[in-house]
This record gives sequence, structure tokens and C-alpha cells, in this order.
Amino acid sequence: MTSGDMMALMPLMILAGGSVLVLLAGAIRPGYYLYEAAIAFVAGALFWTVAVPAEATLPGLAMTPFARFFAVFLDLAGIVALLLSAAYNRRRGIVGEEFPATLLFALAAMGAACAATDLLMLFLALESFTFAFYILVAIERNSARGGEAGLKYLLNGTLSAAILAMGIALLYADRGTLRLAELVPQPGGPALEPLFLVGVCLILLGLAFKLSLVPAHLWTADVYQGAPAPVTALLSTASKGASLAALLLLLPLLAGWQGSHAILWWLALLTMVSGNLAALVQGSIKRMLAWSSVAQMGYAALALVVAPYGGARAAAFYVVVYAAAGLATFGAVAVLSDEVERDGIEEYRGRGYANPLAGAALAVGLFSLAGIPPAAGFMGKFAVFAAALRGGETTLAVAGILTALVSVFFYLKVVVALYMRPAEGEVTNARPLLISEIIALAVPMAATLFLGVYPAPLLDLLMRVLP
Amino acid sequence: MIVPLEHILILAGLLFFLGMGGLLAWRANLIMMLVCIEVMLNAVMLVFVGGSARWGNADGQLFAIFIMALTSSEVSLALAMVVYLHRRKRTVDTDVFSEMKG
Repeated sequence: MTSGDMMALMPLMILAGGSVLVLLAGAIRPGYYLYEAAIAFVAGALFWTVAVPAEATLPGLAMTPFARFFAVFLDLAGIVALLLSAAYNRRRGIVGEEFPATLLFALAAMGAACAATDLLMLFLALESFTFAFYILVAIERNSARGGEAGLKYLLNGTLSAAILAMGIALLYADRGTLRLAELVPQPGGPALEPLFLVGVCLILLGLAFKLSLVPAHLWTADVYQGAPAPVTALLSTASKGASLAALLLLLPLLAGWQGSHAILWWLALLTMVSGNLAALVQGSIKRMLAWSSVAQMGYAALALVVAPYGGARAAAFYVVVYAAAGLATFGAVAVLSDEVERDGIEEYRGRGYANPLAGAALAVGLFSLAGIPPAAGFMGKFAVFAAALRGGETTLAVAGILTALVSVFFYLKVVVALYMRPAEGEVTNARPLLISEIIALAVPMAATLFLGVYPAPLLDLLMRVLP
Repeated sequence: MIVPLEHILILAGLLFFLGMGGLLAWRANLIMMLVCIEVMLNAVMLVFVGGSARWGNADGQLFAIFIMALTSSEVSLALAMVVYLHRRKRTVDTDVFSEMKG
């Protein structure tokens, strides 16, 4: 490893080393100052990624513009989640250094997943960050739901890990290599063997779990509801982004096989329809947002169906836009929850006036998820449907637009509760927000509005990153 | 190689689906679900080692060792959660853990 490689890999090393340092420092002097230390590590990694445009190719890892783009995205989401959880965990009495340390570890693993060039590194990175999330989901020891959510996530997650590993094993047994570049089928080469195709299908199924695409989505609602809200914020944004990046890295394996198109087509359609329909009937805001995240990943999958027609860029743009909205909404849920989680949609009546910033963040996030301009969700959906129409997938585009119309109903239901219905009983005075919470709400909200009005810089950047 | 790859794949496939079938059928007991997942992962390791022998490189064996490391950590975490949930409800019956529905 040369010094140039070290320079390029430094962001990952800062995160991984920071995780260990936070864990050790917590053993010597526990306290909430470790959250600030963790934020400093993530900010350092973010700064390094932006300031040092070094590229490196190592066995298993390559720091490409693609990896650096997703590293910046993941670090930003990580900082917002850490800011939210610092205040939230103080209120809820979640103590211990393992929370910031595990979160840093998850960020390092997600960064590695976006930079992988062989299947071993990809598998290890995917499973490492999922493993970190098992811990984060169940971290609240006093909550009965936390343990149940963690166990459900763990059982589903290990099953999907076994399926993913089996897929990789079959590819390896067929071709004798784990490097992605060597596994990509050559155009005009020999026909693909059944072993290879079964392996690819199993890998797709394993990744469908991580992206919570139907039929591997059943864990989503329970885990999102049971986990602490800042963890849900990170789980629904950064881990989805990293899994989508992994899927984008694997897409070349599917080229030249017609069956993969049909699989992705059905995944996208079923996910959009069932996610939006199930979200209609939820009374709990976290469950509603969980089903909505299932539906949103359906739109990202729709973009992947037409990946050769600019769909890959549209999917990456969509996941960034979704992440900003998801951080704003789950962040608002975290801020508005006090000793008990504010979970029922009815409990949000009148909160828009009692707590203006959190109400505004929640409303902007929901507008973005619903795809109403000027929020960024509109631009994201526009990019996805435009790519679908360019690729000739009219049926999917129409289904997507119809389900998006349905989704407006359940998103606006929350906005109506926030602003247009008086609160029951006397309105309790909202506590003043901390600086960290104000930043954590304002950044995703500003990003959502900015990308909705002026998406050109991000689209240009994606043009360069995903040629 | 003395054992042909097909035989290894058949055995691994049997183990894999045995584990998956057990996991889906035996939903009542947490410990049995963990055992079934282990059986599935052992099938995966068998395929990796078989593939390694077919192609004469060590990548597959390396992957199998990493799977061992990963699953042992996953199982230790799962058992920790089982102990914790058992203290709360005095059972390993999964049907009891159904506070969240919808």
C-alpha cells in the first residue's frame, strides 16, 4: 500500500479508527462528550473526502468518484443522525459509548460497501453495517419494542445474509473469481450457465432485503417502529443509500440477461403498489413512514429497471432526495418525542404551532416524500419517470404516477393533523430546542428545498460520477 | 478433484433448503431458528470450499473463513438478545414477541 493509497483510504480509516477510539475512551471516561467526538470524526472524514480528491485501487477496494460521492452522502447523513441522537439519547436515558462507536462503525462499513470491487469486500461491508444496525435498533434496553424489533431484524437479516452468501458462492463456483470486473459477462461471449443465473437471482433477493423491496420487506415496519427515532432516520436513509450503491455496482452482472429485467420490473411494481397501499391504513407515524420508505425504494427500483437510459443516475438522485426528506421527517419525530415516543398520527395535532421548526421540517419532508413541488421529491420523481419513459417502460411509469397520487393522501393526513386541527386538551408548552437539534432539522430541510428549486448542480455531479 | 462439483452442489442445496424449510416451518422457537440459519450458512461454506477446489485458488476458502467469523458474531448477538428477551417474558416462543403489528 503506497502513501497515495493511504491518502485515498483515509476517510474510511478515520471512521473505523474513530469507532475504536470512542469505544476505548468510553471505557476510561464515559459520558455524552463522546457524541461530540464521534461527530468530529465524521466531520473529519467528510472534510477529507471533499478536500483530498485522491483515487486508489487496492485489492477489493477502489476509491472512485462514485465511492467518494456516496461517502459524502453517508457522512452527511451520519452527522445529522449523531446530532439528533445526542439530544434524544440524553432525554431517553440511553447511556454508554457503544451507541456512537457502533454508529461510526456502521458509517465505515457503508463507505466500504460503496467502494467494493470484489464480492468478498461487498459482502463483508454489507453484513458489517447490517450487524451494526442490529445493535443500534435494540440499544434501548428499557423498551420492550426495541428488543423485539432487534430480534426480528436479526432473524430476517441473517436469513438474507445466508441467501446473499449462497448467491455469491454459486457465482464463485461457476466462474472461479470474486472480482466484479472479471465476473461481468462479455457481450458475445458464451451463454450464461444456470449456476450463474441462480447465483445472480439469489444475490438480487439478498439485496432486496436490504432495500426492503417486496417480497423481502416484511421486517421494515416493525423495525422502524421499534427502533429509536434517530436510528430509524439513519437506517432508512444511509443504509438504503449504501445498499443502492451496492446494487449499482452489481448491475453490470445482470447485463445481457433478459430475465433480470423481468425480475427488477416485478420488484419495482409490487414494491410501489404494496408499499403505498399499506401506508394508507397505518395509524402510527413511524409505521406509515416505514411503508412509505418501502414505496420510495420501489421508485428507486423503477429507475434501476431502465438503468441504461440514465436510470442509474435517476436512482442515485432519488435516493439522495429521499434521504434528505427521511432525515427531516424522522428527525422531527425524534425531536417531538419526549419521554415516550410520539407515535400515533393523532398525537401530532396542533404540534405545528407548538413547535414551529420541528413542524416545518416534518411538513417539508412529507411534501417531498409525496412529490409536491417545490420540495425535492418532485424533482426526484420527475427524474425517475422521465428515465422510465425514455426506456420505454410506460406501464411502470403510469403505475408509479398513480401510486404517487395515492400516496399524497396519507402524507397530507399528517400535515393536516399538524396544522389544521386543534390539539386535544391543553397544549403543553414545547421545550426549547437545542442548537444541535436545530442544525439537525434545518440542514435536511434546507437541502430538500434547495434541491427542489435548483437540482442542476447535483445532476451535473451525478453525470460525472455515473457516466 | 475426487468429488465432482455436482455432488457438492446437490448436498449443499439439500442442506440450504433443509435450513430454509426449517426456518419457515419452525417459527415457534428462537433457538431452532438460529440453528436452521447456521445450517444454511454451512451449506454456503460447502459451496465455497467446493468451488475453491474446482478452480484451485484460495478465494473461496478465504470467504468461508470470513463467513465463520461473521456468523459467530451474529449468533453471539442473537443469543444475547434471546437471553434478554427471555428475562423479560420467560419464554423463547416467538409468538409471544408480537407487540407490534399492522
